[in-house]
Amino acid sequence: MAFKSGKYFFDDVDLQYKRVRLPFSRRLLRFAVWFAASVIMFFIYRYAFTKTFGSPEEARLMSSIETVMLELNMIDREMDDMIERLNEFRLSDDHRYRPVLEMDTLPSNFRQPATGGIERYGELTGFINSGTLLELVNKRDHIATQLNLQNESFRAISDKTTEWRRQMEYLPIISPVNVSFRLGDGIKFREKHPVHGNPQWHHGQDFRTPVGTPVYATGAGTVIEAGWNSGGFGNYVVIDHGYGFRTTYGHLSAVKTVKGALVKRGDRIGLSGNTGISSGPHLHYQIDLFGKIQNPLHYFNDDLTEEEYIEMIRILSAGAQYRQ
Amino acid sequence: MARTRYRFNPESLSFDRVTLGFGAIIMRSLAYIVGSAMIAVVYWVIFAAFFDSPKEKALKRELSQLTVQYEILSREMGDMEEVLHHLQRTDDNLYRAIFNAEPLPVSYREGGVGGLNRYKDLEGFNNSELVIETAKRLDKIRKRIYTQSKSFDELIALTKEKEAMVRCIPAIMPISNRDLTRTASGYGPRIHPYYKIIKFHTGMDFTAPSGTEVYATGDGVVSEIITSNRGYGNYIVVDHGFGYTSLYAHLDRFNARKGQKVQRGEVIGFVGNTGMSLAPHLHYEVKLNGRTVDPVNYYFNDLTPEEYERMIELASKTGQSFD
Repeated sequence: MAFKSGKYFFDDVDLQYKRVRLPFSRRLLRFAVWFAASVIMFFIYRYAFTKTFGSPEEARLMSSIETVMLELNMIDREMDDMIERLNEFRLSDDHRYRPVLEMDTLPSNFRQPATGGIERYGELTGFINSGTLLELVNKRDHIATQLNLQNESFRAISDKTTEWRRQMEYLPIISPVNVSFRLGDGIKFREKHPVHGNPQWHHGQDFRTPVGTPVYATGAGTVIEAGWNSGGFGNYVVIDHGYGFRTTYGHLSAVKTVKGALVKRGDRIGLSGNTGISSGPHLHYQIDLFGKIQNPLHYFNDDLTEEEYIEMIRILSAGAQYRQ
Repeated sequence: MARTRYRFNPESLSFDRVTLGFGAIIMRSLAYIVGSAMIAVVYWVIFAAFFDSPKEKALKRELSQLTVQYEILSREMGDMEEVLHHLQRTDDNLYRAIFNAEPLPVSYREGGVGGLNRYKDLEGFNNSELVIETAKRLDKIRKRIYTQSKSFDELIALTKEKEAMVRCIPAIMPISNRDLTRTASGYGPRIHPYYKIIKFHTGMDFTAPSGTEVYATGDGVVSEIITSNRGYGNYIVVDHGFGYTSLYAHLDRFNARKGQKVQRGEVIGFVGNTGMSLAPHLHYEVKLNGRTVDPVNYYFNDLTPEEYERMIELASKTGQSFD
């Protein structure tokens, strides 16, 4: 027999060199032992490596986490920016709009950041960055709440503003004739009525205007009377301004509007005269609020010059159309 | 079973005993170490593909949670930004509707410079950026110096006078207005809210709810307390001496009597909506020797230069007065 390379052993029994041959089971066992040893070695190596250098997988994960945290940090800064902007809105809301519109400011506890909320975010606990993450989602919730609140608030303010501006147009707040005309009798108890001669209350404000002086609507509204009044006002106009206000313009020489017409402030509605029960040319101007006589002097100022009044009427009558 | 091994030598046709020299032992163990390390790497790759260490597992969980949250948050940030834009537009519109004026940009901390590119001619040079930056800074400083010098002039004039005068001059704002958002309308020609014509506004308007405290702006004596339904409504005049008087109009009620001595900061009344007034507000007027002056020039006591600048800008910009 030819000797091949390989390992041999000397058989003490038949004094021959014999090739080392292992049965399959022995080989398997050997392999198993070797495998087990290598696995053990692997763990030892791994342990030693991780101890000295850290696990590469962990390092990779950590750096990914860091990247995401950086992005989250940017979001955090954006959020702070949003909170600041929201604060500007809050200040506008509290200090500018609501006081002007006579609306109560929102209670400050509406504006407080919601505390807690950790229970809701249980899935975010137990991480290295849990603190930051929780802070972030809470901040997000705070902003979302505030955005909603501010949106609602602005909507309410917006509605109120529309109403306020409308009201501004409707309230009777100018003089019905040029301020250059002298005032006659105001609201007072007259011992002797200039025509009847009996004692009587005077419910309006008189203006000493010559016949033919233009008379202007003092606020927007609907003409509810235009024509002859048998009660003594002569030719007269009554405008309903809404909000409980009615104005009456008496003793006109001519009525320049019709019943049911929609007028705006500064529209010419008639010419002053001396019709009805009147002792001389004048305009009788009367304001009532829910049927109660008001002093017209409280509803306009004498802070305009004659030219300014003319300019005002020009601008008002050229202004926006009547709005329902 | 340390049996002796032999190796067949084909040259000598004999069996040689297998013996290992020292070098061979070293080589063998080296080979063993390298080999086992390589096997370990192979194992590691296989192992990592199927199993994670607890720490890795935790990190992976964290990473995925963070990524998910990041995606959610950035999507939501977009939405919130949109709502913010909407709010900004609403805010601007409300400002226009109520104050009849263009709202100021929010970036007031920059001193109000910017908007148009005023530095175009400086572009295109080697050090353009630096030059433009410097020019911008100079502009800001110039503006600041201008506003500051205004208040310095007053201060110099003041220090020349007696100490009493410093206490008496109306040098604070008549209501608490820390963030200046209560500033509504300044001194000068303004559109009248009812008349719609331009009238000279002789004072300053502050928006504040009815009942807000009104302070005496300097030491003095209450010279007039007027209750009226017309014009200024209920108003107070304080005589500060040295030719200065201040007037607080449209008050809801008073907290002082005629002839009473008041000190700066004392509450003399409460904001209201009396007289010819569009809305609850305080109309504040300062007169020097009988002529109205711009109250803005006198707020140096409680404003920083930046705030002062902002105040001037705010007061000059509003298009409509409130009375």
